[in-house]
Amino acid sequence: MQSWRGKSLWLALSASWLLILLRVFPLLRLAVPARPWASAPQGWPRWLDTELLPSFSQPGELPEDAPQPPQAPRGGGCDWGACFDASKCRTGGLKVFVHPVAGPISASHRKILASIESSRYHTASPEEACLLLFLSLEVPAGECSPVPQQWNGGRNHLVLDLHPAPCPQTFQLGRAMVAKASPTVDTFRPGFDVALPLLPEAHPLRGGAPGQLRQHSPHPGVPLLALAEERGGWRTAGTDPSTCPWDGRCEQDRGPEQTHPGGTLPNATFCLIPGHRPDALHFLQALQAGCIPVLLSPRWELPFSEVIDWTKAAIVADERLPFQVLAALQEMPLTRVLALRQQTQFLWDAYFSSVEKVMHTTLEIIQDRIFGASAHASLLWNSPPGALLALPTFSTSLSDFPFYHLQWGSRPVGRFSALIWVGAPGQPPLKLIQAVAGSQNCAQILVLWSSEKPPPSRWPETAVPLTVMDGQRKVSDRFFPHRAISTDAILSLDAHSSVTTSEVDFAFLVWQSFPERMVGFLTWNHFWDEAQGGWGYTAERANEFSMVLTSAAFYHRYYHTLFTHSLPKALRTLADETPTCVDILMNFLVAAVTKLPPIKVPYGKQHFEATPPLVPGGPEPQPTARDCINQMAAGFGYMPLVSSRLRLDPVLFKDPVSVLRKKYRSLEKP
Amino acid sequence: MGQVYLEREEEAACVIMCASVKYNIRGPALIPRMKSKHRIYYITLFSIVLLGLIATGMFQFWPHSIESSSDWSVEKRSVRDVPVVRLPADSPIPERGDLSCRMHTCFDVYRCGFNPKNKIKVYIYSLKKYVDDFGVPVSNTISREYNELLTAISDSDYYTDDISRACLFVPSIDVLNQNTLRIKETAQALAQLSRWDRGTNHLLFNMLPGGPPDYNTALDVPRDRALLAGGGFSTWTYRQGYDVSIPVYSPLSAEVELPEKGPGPRRYFLLSSQPAVHPEYREDLEALQARHGEAVLVLDKCTNLSEGVLSVRRRCHKHQVFDYPQVLQEATFCVVLRGARLGQAVLSDVLRAGCVPVVIADSYVLPFSEVLDWKRASVVVPEEKMSEAYSILQSIPQRQIEEMQRQARWFWEAYFQSIKAIALATLQIINDRIYPYAALSYEEWNDPPTVKRGSVSNPLFLPLIPPQSQGFTAIVLTYDRVESLFRVITEVSKVPSLSKLLVVWNNQNKNPPEDSLWPKIRVPLKVVRTAENKLSNRFFPYDEIETEAVLAIDDDIIMLTSDELQFGYEVWREFPDRLVGYPGRLHLWDHEMNKWKYESEWTNEVSMVLTGAAFYHKYFNYLYTYKMPGDIKNWVDAHMNCEDIAMNFLVANVTGKAVIKVTPRKKFKCPECTAIDGLSLDQTHMVERSECINKFASVFGTMPLKVVEHRADPVLYKDDFPEKLKSFPNIGSL
Repeated sequence: MQSWRGKSLWLALSASWLLILLRVFPLLRLAVPARPWASAPQGWPRWLDTELLPSFSQPGELPEDAPQPPQAPRGGGCDWGACFDASKCRTGGLKVFVHPVAGPISASHRKILASIESSRYHTASPEEACLLLFLSLEVPAGECSPVPQQWNGGRNHLVLDLHPAPCPQTFQLGRAMVAKASPTVDTFRPGFDVALPLLPEAHPLRGGAPGQLRQHSPHPGVPLLALAEERGGWRTAGTDPSTCPWDGRCEQDRGPEQTHPGGTLPNATFCLIPGHRPDALHFLQALQAGCIPVLLSPRWELPFSEVIDWTKAAIVADERLPFQVLAALQEMPLTRVLALRQQTQFLWDAYFSSVEKVMHTTLEIIQDRIFGASAHASLLWNSPPGALLALPTFSTSLSDFPFYHLQWGSRPVGRFSALIWVGAPGQPPLKLIQAVAGSQNCAQILVLWSSEKPPPSRWPETAVPLTVMDGQRKVSDRFFPHRAISTDAILSLDAHSSVTTSEVDFAFLVWQSFPERMVGFLTWNHFWDEAQGGWGYTAERANEFSMVLTSAAFYHRYYHTLFTHSLPKALRTLADETPTCVDILMNFLVAAVTKLPPIKVPYGKQHFEATPPLVPGGPEPQPTARDCINQMAAGFGYMPLVSSRLRLDPVLFKDPVSVLRKKYRSLEKP
Repeated sequence: MGQVYLEREEEAACVIMCASVKYNIRGPALIPRMKSKHRIYYITLFSIVLLGLIATGMFQFWPHSIESSSDWSVEKRSVRDVPVVRLPADSPIPERGDLSCRMHTCFDVYRCGFNPKNKIKVYIYSLKKYVDDFGVPVSNTISREYNELLTAISDSDYYTDDISRACLFVPSIDVLNQNTLRIKETAQALAQLSRWDRGTNHLLFNMLPGGPPDYNTALDVPRDRALLAGGGFSTWTYRQGYDVSIPVYSPLSAEVELPEKGPGPRRYFLLSSQPAVHPEYREDLEALQARHGEAVLVLDKCTNLSEGVLSVRRRCHKHQVFDYPQVLQEATFCVVLRGARLGQAVLSDVLRAGCVPVVIADSYVLPFSEVLDWKRASVVVPEEKMSEAYSILQSIPQRQIEEMQRQARWFWEAYFQSIKAIALATLQIINDRIYPYAALSYEEWNDPPTVKRGSVSNPLFLPLIPPQSQGFTAIVLTYDRVESLFRVITEVSKVPSLSKLLVVWNNQNKNPPEDSLWPKIRVPLKVVRTAENKLSNRFFPYDEIETEAVLAIDDDIIMLTSDELQFGYEVWREFPDRLVGYPGRLHLWDHEMNKWKYESEWTNEVSMVLTGAAFYHKYFNYLYTYKMPGDIKNWVDAHMNCEDIAMNFLVANVTGKAVIKVTPRKKFKCPECTAIDGLSLDQTHMVERSECINKFASVFGTMPLKVVEHRADPVLYKDDFPEKLKSFPNIGSL
């Protein structure tokens, strides 16, 4: 027993030690060399006396900075604060005067002049102006344009320099700002000068060609890369990573490729553009084509870089790393590619597609500098519909606009204001008021009395406040941003419109899902009339529509501001002279902003049909009215209207189910 | 390093455990034959052995894992003990800074080769003490803040200790404050750094540039091509796109506790808190105060304080004493005036207090202005216009002011509050320049977390109606119902805009029918065989899909008319970023159970459409397959249910928009077959679907589905109008 016990004791002990030896020691051996003291991959050391280290500035030193008198701007250097006198603009708003040009001018200069004159900032008197524009002309080499009168040392001047100046120093710039096409980075003064795009000679004055992108995502067969060529064309290259897309930058042979002549736009996902100056023209082409520009160390300032966030639409890469760039492009996540592609199109359409847009953007940038805190927010510049169509004078809160609810995580404010326009016959629309006031979503009723007859003194008792405003006897007055309008949504009505409470309720509900569009009951459709060689429109019932009548439609109150402050005066005058035009004009405006069709909701009174409200006679619009759509199209420079083939109905609309289930059953009454 | 040791420890623990387990396995064979006394004896003995073993293990491994590895690795040293380097008086001095430097001219990008993480590697030179020929030190060895800054870089992902792999070099020579160093000698010290090479890829941090009397706005130390992260740049010295403008750190950030104060109207409209303001400016400010009374407060340093009170923390107006920086929280706008230098530490204090800075310092380049949108958080007033400041501020609407206050506070939290925040933001900016395709976006830099949470950036944001000619690709998911599949194919092929038909054969045990047996249709028909019978195969982004529009359709959906499908496609063209489907479904909040409930009753509302037949953009296939949050994709495959609900969640979440239900269709099964579905089956189905909604809502962290009360019908649907003139006369019923 004893020996057995001894044996087992030994056995147990030796087993344990064996275990220790076998298991633990190798571990220790492994552990030892891995210890930091051996190879010492150390970071910044933790000092023992960290607490004792002195601060970089002694207490008192920061605030006790030796004061110094204000400094005058350095010799020759200019920036916005030092060289521009904004006080004049702050009182009278931005007013732009263009120095008259002496001598013959080219077509592109004429376009520039025309586009500035069409701007709402233009003024004919130099005394009134706070910004004076000087067009630097192309002159024979060696000669220089003369300094204009009222030059005033260049103060508050903007020198427009669209061509690489043949006369290196046209004249002493003084304190003038320079708006130049593709300025070199070295001479560009950020926040003072304006970088313009390099426009081709044939760039249209107005409207302009739309972006070429027809689909959001790249088509599967499309090549990855197109390369800008020295001669002005594009060359598409294969997607093979081993092929070198650069001329003379890598040794390998180039892959299979195609060369395209100068005029055509590139058809590829990415467009490689070398950074030398002449390639700036390629940049606009790529933008229009929806081909994501990849700029290789550009030596020129990107157009409107002060306000446009180019990182959302282009990639600025280092030309010294061709393979790294190529690899990064190939591995770029689809989500990013999609976002970049769409942004190129948005920017092209918003700021670059016509001379007018380019010039108006330039003025808007200067306006923003004057506005300071109440300028366009960055989001307004960099997301649809763009800063030319989103006026900061309307509001500085993004949630007040119809466009940014998604990005801002907000929603349109609760209820609507009914705006009833009473025209010539001057009949108070009592039935209509009752029907509208019956809606739970109605916040107020505004009657815009535009008749020669005086308004009646007594109005029906309604659950909501009713205000009678004295109108200006002008049709365009109905789209004036009246102060009394307190809600985001407006229900625009005519005195003789006829709607029911449930029609209004449902239409308002639909509008809340589409606050940037017009939601209406009666529709018109436009078409291209081959016989007449112009646009026409019809009120006849059809399978498509592109306009809703403003005699009964919901839309955002922002469109009143836009209608009154951004439309060219000529178009508004046209609408006043030919009242039917006002509907067309409003529809043009909203379509130009949204690029989408309006929305139609069900309407019971089929007999009422879409007769133009103020035109007596048949369903066919009068010849003058027919003219008006063509004049509008000319004024906009293109046809913005978009057709839709659908109508939004309640979910159970006219379904063979129990009436009790239906929320909007009265909509179905014939 | 610490991570490695932790793992080791676990391993060691396992060794011990395994040992004891092994003993226990062997034990029973021996022990039962022994008397209980002996047994106790042996057990005690072994326990002692085991304890010894554990103790050894603990001794070996424990201490290293709890101590932070770097503390443990470097022996505790004092800053005073660092090596001394003597700089001969004639050692080389770098050129002055080159004002024309840009990333593509002065920066050696080859050092920052391609790396999958798109992160630059930063090396920090080790600390030395530099003395001149006479043994007089060149500068303070290192300040507390610069030490903190280097520690922050060293702890970050950017750090590398391998000098040959580094892309950016940070000298340990402290130049934060120009007044504490000797300019020429510091330049010599820089020039002798081992990889100096004219300063290429070297980054210097400086917060207080210039010195009396003319206070230059950039560090005066000659530095050749080195990048400068400087506080107080003016537009004349700042090399756009090369230098980085950084804030002047305020030591009060760490010293003083200041509870956050929300935005809103405050006691003073405009406050000037800087004690050292040039008399000319002070006159202007006092004139403002005289004109606007109580709303404006101009503070000065205190002259009559008793000894021992920190004057840095006190400000006075006449005889009234205010606590600084607390008083900043009492003001809506706070003046940040230039002193001798453009960059002022008060900017940091002001932002922290949620006070909107009114920056009056012409040509000052605001901190991180390359990426931060200061328009959202500050008002810049030209020095000349100081007297108009009040009226300029008055014209800002209250809502915008509150937005700016929030933004100011957020900028402080994210980029100003610590030396670490400043250092990391600087490196991120340089990183963004070198890897532009991986750069942070404007929103990532500027949107405060509250906005980021609420906002949706629709991936298909461009308003665009795709041309009708593109057509759509129909994807039919099938298992083995060949007959019904063929009928679906025949029906769908009648739709004019169909451009391709893709059959996803989800049955691995059975081959698809031979080519000759398939219906002959006018568009290409392709069969894809899958590796596994999974529901998610329906939403895979197959290379064969060439159109943007996809019609997902089950192999038993034969009731949809050609007009209905064509109309569905037309509706999708007008809403290409949405799911466009036929039967609609709804989610409801069950107040009794306190959770979501699936509803298939014929209600007035819809929030989902069934994907048994639905049009959508093919991009959503990519999202479903590669970007579905959490484990939803696998969960759906495992449960063989709810793939359609998952798709509805995904699309609504990413676009923030509701589905579009088209035409009256309420269900897919033919009316006469409804009786087959037993009631109990129906109920379990509903319970499962409800579970899916709750599961997905918890994974998404929110309920993304949007409820609407409309559906899309053709313009003339059910209108009193000749049927033959309607574009889509044949729209089916329920």
